[in-house]
Amino acid sequence: MSTTDDLPNSEPLETRFNSIALQDEEQEQPESSSRLQAQPPEEESLCRSVNGDGILEIRRVDGDGGTRNGCGWRRTNSELEMDGPSSPSSSGYAGERGTSGEDDEIVEISNDVAVMDSQLPWTPGKRHVDEDDASISWRKRKKHFFILSYSGKPIYSRYGDELKLAGFSATLQAIISFVENGGDRVKLVRAGKHQVIFLVKGPIYLVCISCTEEPYESLRGQLELIYGQMILILTKSVNRCFEKNPKFDMTPLLGGTDVVFSSLIHSFSWNPATFLHAYTCLPLAYATRQAAGAILHDVADSGVLFAILMCKHKVVSLVGAQKASLHPDDMLLLSNFITSSDSFRTSESFSPICLPRYNPMAFLYAYVHYFDVDTYLVLLTTSSDAFYHLKDCRIRIEMVLLKSNVLSEVQRSMLDGGMRVEELPGCLLPHSASPRLGQHKQSTDSLERFREPFVGIGGPAGLWHFIYRSIYLDQYVASEFSSPINSPRQQKRLYRAYRKLYASMHDIGNGSHKTQFRRDENYVLLCWVTPDFELYAAFDPLADKALAIKTCNRVCQWIKDVENEIFLLGASPFSW
Amino acid sequence: MPLWLIPFPVLFSLKICKLKEVMGLASVNAANDGMQFCVFDLKRGQQEGQELDKILFFFPADLPFSTQLSVIGLSEGLITFTRIFSPEAACEVIEAERHSHIFYEAEPDIWMVMIVEKSKASEAIWRVDALQKVLKEVHNLFMMFHGSIRSMIEKEPSGGLVRTHLYSFIMDYLNVFLITKKLQLPSFRDCLMERGTVQMLTVGREAAIEVQSLVKVLEYSAGSASCYSLIMFQDLLVSTTLSPEDTVNLFTYAVLRLTPRALSSGVSSWSSLLRGSTASNATATSTSTHSGSVSEQQYHSRDASPGQSNSNHIERPLQHDRWHKGKDGFLGTDIQISEMGSLISATPTIYLQQTGERMYLCAYQYKSLTLILLLPVSSLLNGEQGVSQVKQQIVESASLKMLKVEEKLSKGWGGENAYHVSGYRYLLVDDRHVSRASPAAKVTTLTKESLLAMNKLREEVDLEKNRAKLDNMGKEKDMEICIRAKNNAWVIARTTRGKELYMVLEKANETLLYAADAVEKFSNRYCGGAFSLD
Repeated sequence: MSTTDDLPNSEPLETRFNSIALQDEEQEQPESSSRLQAQPPEEESLCRSVNGDGILEIRRVDGDGGTRNGCGWRRTNSELEMDGPSSPSSSGYAGERGTSGEDDEIVEISNDVAVMDSQLPWTPGKRHVDEDDASISWRKRKKHFFILSYSGKPIYSRYGDELKLAGFSATLQAIISFVENGGDRVKLVRAGKHQVIFLVKGPIYLVCISCTEEPYESLRGQLELIYGQMILILTKSVNRCFEKNPKFDMTPLLGGTDVVFSSLIHSFSWNPATFLHAYTCLPLAYATRQAAGAILHDVADSGVLFAILMCKHKVVSLVGAQKASLHPDDMLLLSNFITSSDSFRTSESFSPICLPRYNPMAFLYAYVHYFDVDTYLVLLTTSSDAFYHLKDCRIRIEMVLLKSNVLSEVQRSMLDGGMRVEELPGCLLPHSASPRLGQHKQSTDSLERFREPFVGIGGPAGLWHFIYRSIYLDQYVASEFSSPINSPRQQKRLYRAYRKLYASMHDIGNGSHKTQFRRDENYVLLCWVTPDFELYAAFDPLADKALAIKTCNRVCQWIKDVENEIFLLGASPFSW
Repeated sequence: MPLWLIPFPVLFSLKICKLKEVMGLASVNAANDGMQFCVFDLKRGQQEGQELDKILFFFPADLPFSTQLSVIGLSEGLITFTRIFSPEAACEVIEAERHSHIFYEAEPDIWMVMIVEKSKASEAIWRVDALQKVLKEVHNLFMMFHGSIRSMIEKEPSGGLVRTHLYSFIMDYLNVFLITKKLQLPSFRDCLMERGTVQMLTVGREAAIEVQSLVKVLEYSAGSASCYSLIMFQDLLVSTTLSPEDTVNLFTYAVLRLTPRALSSGVSSWSSLLRGSTASNATATSTSTHSGSVSEQQYHSRDASPGQSNSNHIERPLQHDRWHKGKDGFLGTDIQISEMGSLISATPTIYLQQTGERMYLCAYQYKSLTLILLLPVSSLLNGEQGVSQVKQQIVESASLKMLKVEEKLSKGWGGENAYHVSGYRYLLVDDRHVSRASPAAKVTTLTKESLLAMNKLREEVDLEKNRAKLDNMGKEKDMEICIRAKNNAWVIARTTRGKELYMVLEKANETLLYAADAVEKFSNRYCGGAFSLD
C-alpha cells in the first residue's frame, strides 16, 4: 500500500498503519483492511488493530469474548452510528452531552424548527454527509470546520463528504497560497455575519467558516485544538509524509476518527475548558481525593508518566512523574479522544497517543480502562510494551479505589452535581422578597427570548452562573446551570458570551484588562482578572451593579471556603 | 482535482500567480511599503485577457499591472468566495499577518479596496470600520460632485472618463491624509472621533431664533426655487435644511475646503509642492513619489477615446486653492465654462444623494460664518445669470442678518476647548449623523495604552452593531461595557437607542461603581440623561 511506503520504518507513526492481527488469520477482513497493511503475527497473545476510531488497540485475546470484540479488524462505521438512534440511557454517553447540535441548524431555519432541533440529543459522528458546497443547506450551516493539506486535498470536513468537497478545498488552498505568494499570511476574512478563519500548521491547513458570534481569537483557538486533536492521533511526524509526497493523502490515517473531531467540535459549545485552557475537577471530599491521589502516586513511581482518573471530562485525581507536566489542553484532547470513542468503554485498551503540548513528535502509550460508565483510568507511558505492567497497576488501583469507596463517592458526586448559584452562602434575602427581582418579573421581553417557561430566578442578586479559574492550579470550577439557563441552547449562548468576554479581557498584545462589566439584552457579565484567579459571572440583564459586585465577592469567598473539595490541590500539573 | 471546480476568480488569481512566477516579478507587498487603494468594476473585463479593464483606479499607479491585477484578483476571488456563505454581504475585510485589506462595495459591483500595512513598532493599528468610513467618504464626495461611478461608466463605456475623474478626485482626497509626505490614515489615536458625522455648535435660544430667521430670509432670496441651506460657524454646523446624508457630505466638504480655516490653510507647503501646474488632464499629478510618468501614461492612453477631448472639463473640487473669497463675500472657484461663446467663471454644481437632483453650490462667508445655499439647476432656467441674481438678492436682504448672527454666535462661542469636559475624554455619537468629542488636543494627553484599549473596545462594539444591523431585528443594540484596563484607566462604551458614548477615564477611582457614576453624571449633564439608568 502506498501510504505505508511513504513512511520510514523507524517512524512511530508506522504503528498507525501496521496492524497485527494475531487472531484467526482466516477471519474475514472488512473493506477497510484493504487500506491497511496486515503484518505477520507476532508471538504475543495480544492483538493490535486499528479500529474504526483510528485507535490502535491492543487487547488481550482470551478464549471467546475477544474474537467478538477486540481482535482482528474492527471498523466502527461512524456513519451508521449517526443514522442509528443512539441510546443515551444504555451508556449515559450521548445523554451526558445533553446539548443540541445548534450549529447544525441551518441559519435561516424558522425558529420553531430550530427549537425542536435543539432539543434533540447530540449524536456523535458526522452528519449531513450527503451535502456538498453546492447544497444550499450546507452553505447555511452555522459553523464549518475543514482540515486540508497544503496541496488542497481535503482531510476533514465537519459537514458534507470530503471527496465531494475537493473543489471547495482547492479554493481554500488557493486563497491561502495566493496570500502566501504575496509574502503574507491570511488570518481572517469577514463578510457580513460570517468569519473565515485560517490556520496554517506546516503542510496542514485548517479553516473555520462561522456565522456564530464567537470572536476571532476563540475560533482560532478552536482550530488550534482541532489541530492538536489531529496531532494526538498522528503526531507531528505526519509532516514528513508531506515532505516526501506533497500529494500525500492523509484521510486513511484518520479513517473513522470523524467521531473524535465531531465530539471535540461539539465540546466547543459546552466545555469551558476549550477556551479557558484549564481543567475542572469532580467535587469530592478532600480525603477521598487524597486516597485516589495516593494510589495514583504509587503507580507513577513505577514507570508511569501520568496517571489520570477521570469522570467524563472532570478530573478525579491526577499524578505525573517527576518533572513531567500535563497541559490542560492535552488533558482536554485526551479525554475527548477517549470519551468519544466507544471502543474504549468495552474493554481495556492500549493505544498510542501523542500529547501535542508535551511532545508533538512522539507517541506515548495510553492504557485506558473504564471502571464504570463514566469513570475511567488513563495510564500514560513511553514504553510500547508496558501493557501488562499497566494492567497490573490498574488492578492495584482498582482494588484501592474500591476499598476506600472512591468509586462510589465519585458516582454520588456525579449525581449531586457541583456548586449551585442558589446555594451561595450569605444570601440574606429570600429570592421572592428581593425587590429587584420583582422588577425582573415585569420585564417580560427579556424572558421571551428564552422561549421557555420561566421556572426560577437563579441565585441572589440575579446571579445566573459563574466560572472561577485558578491561575496557579490551571483549574476552573463552573457552577451548575440553573434556571433560567435551562436549555442547551441557552447554555451554549451563555458560553459564547463568556468566550467573547474572555477574548475581550485577554488581548494578546497588550496584556489582560483587570475588570469588565458588560450589559446587553441577554446578560450582565462581570469579569475580574487578578494574578491569582479569574472570575466570570453572568447575571440577569437588569441586575444592579453594586449588588452584582458584592455577589461576586461572595462567590470568591465561597470558592475559597470549599477549595479543598472542588480543586485538586498540591498537584499543579502544569508547573510541577 | 478538475480545474472547472475552482470558481473563476480564484482560477484567475492562480493564473496571475503563475504569471508572476514567469515574469519573476516581486511580490505585491515588496513593491510598496505603504498603502494600496483600488477601485474596480466586476462587470468589466470578464473575458480572459481583458482583466485590466476592471481596474478604474489604482494607487500607487506605478505598480506593475501584474501586481495590480493580483490585488484585484485576490479581492474578486474573496468576494465570490464569501458570497457562497454570505450572499447578502460579501467580503468586508481580509486580515493577514502584515496587511489589512478593507473592502467597500460603493455601488453594485463597484468595489473599493484599501490595503494597509500593519506594523507593530509604528502606529499602524487601525479600526476596520474607521478605514471603511474613509472609503465611504471619498465615494460619497465623488458622488456629490460627479454622480455615481456607474452612471459615468455608462456615459462613456470605454472607461476613460471615469478613470480620469476617479484619479484626480481620489488623489486630491488622499492629500488630506498626507502629512510630511507620508499618508497618515486614521489610527487608534483617532479612536475618539467619528468620520462621517457632523459636529454641531450649541446655540442659545436667542441665537437660535436669529439663525432661524436667517434661514427664512435665504429661502426667500432664492425665490421660487426650492433651495436648501447649510450654515456653519467655524468648523461647526449651526443649521441645515438638507437630509442627514447630504448634510454630512456637504459638511465634510466644507470643513475640508470651504470654512475659513480650510481656506487659510489651503496653501500649505506640501500641497503647493504637489499641485499640478495646469488645469488640464495633465494635472493628474501624483501625491507621492510612488506614482510617476508610468501612471500618467497609463491614464492618458486609456483616456484616448473618441469624443473625449480636452474641452471636457475636469472639476477637481478637492484640490487645494480651488476656492477663494471674492469681494462680494461669495466664495468662487476658477472653474470656467464656455457660455455663449466666452469663458466665464462658473458656479460648481453638486448632486444630492437623496434625490439625485443637481444643485448649484453657492457659498458666502462672513468672518467665521459660512453659509451654503444649494439652488436646483433645473429651476434656474437662465443658468449662471440666475445664480448671480440670487446672490445679488442675498447680499441685499440677508447680509445684515448674517452680521448679527455671526456676532451672536461669536459671543456665545466657548473657543477651541468649548466642549472639553474636565476629567473625561469622550466621543458622543448621536443617531449616527452627529457627534461631539473631546478636543483633539485633550485626547492626545491620553496614554497609548488607553487609546489602544479604546480602539479595541470600539472594534468590538462595531462588530456588535454591524451584527445587530444584519440581524435586522429593527432594534438598536443596547449595551454597556466598562473595562478597567491594565493601566488602570476605565474604558467605557455605551450604546442605546442609536446613540453611542465612548469614554476614557484615566485618573479615576478603581471601583466600577465610581466609573458607572462618572458616566451617569456625564449623561445627565451633557446627554440629556440618554445614557442614564432609571
